[in-house]
Amino acid sequence: MPQLVPTSEDTRIYEWCVLYPYPLTQKEEQQLIKEVEGHFEEVGAKLVAKDAWGRRGLAYAVGGFKEGNFTVYYYEMDPAKVKEVDNALRITKGVLRHITVKPPKHYQVVKFSEAYEAWLKDRKTVEEQRASAREEKVQEQIARKAKMKAKATAERKKTVKPAERPLEEEAITEQIDKLISDDTLDI
Amino acid sequence: MAFHKQTQQQRRPDPRMKKCPFCEHGTAYIDYKDYPVLKPYIDYFGNIRKRYYTGVCLKHQKMLKSAVERARFMAMLAYRK
Repeated sequence: MPQLVPTSEDTRIYEWCVLYPYPLTQKEEQQLIKEVEGHFEEVGAKLVAKDAWGRRGLAYAVGGFKEGNFTVYYYEMDPAKVKEVDNALRITKGVLRHITVKPPKHYQVVKFSEAYEAWLKDRKTVEEQRASAREEKVQEQIARKAKMKAKATAERKKTVKPAERPLEEEAITEQIDKLISDDTLDI
Repeated sequence: MAFHKQTQQQRRPDPRMKKCPFCEHGTAYIDYKDYPVLKPYIDYFGNIRKRYYTGVCLKHQKMLKSAVERARFMAMLAYRK
């Protein structure tokens, strides 16, 4: 990332953010960009860095456009010429919005076009993680319910067992009868 | 004393004990182009959240305010939903 340090004492680095309307024909777009960059060249500004964001939805409609094309320029120029460029941009047809910011000391240029996309991806993965956590919870609940059911059935079986005992008693009495009726028994 | 402690435990945590998330990162400048950073400090209606709720320090709240106002002008954030 380039750091913003002016080459001479008479110039400063300014950040210009320009909002172009999105659905434009390629010819119109190229013309518009040429025109805007021409304003800077007229004043003798030097381009330090450029960040084209591409198509982006707008928070509210501007001039009837719901989508826009942001471009961030970092120009090194004479502070006295800023107003000229500002006025020129204000008149330019097709520029929806523009803003000039003097970046603070030690400001590092960040490519927000990439950062934004990375964030979008990150957010998707976060949502996926949440979905998977939700599924895990549901599965845990199902497992717990199954355990409870198994326990309940086991308890029911235990309660059923005492009914089987009378049969065992009958078997024992039969055996005893057999023993008693045995001829070899010597008492 | 013990009674006093109990009542304090039952209360919600003191909002003044929150730490400024920007101070923890050592932020020197809040960028108006950084939507992911600004988003959590905007409520549903597009207003800036109060410092009382977010725990941002005054210095960074002022930076945040200027960043949000710039972003609103550039139609990156809504003025009002």
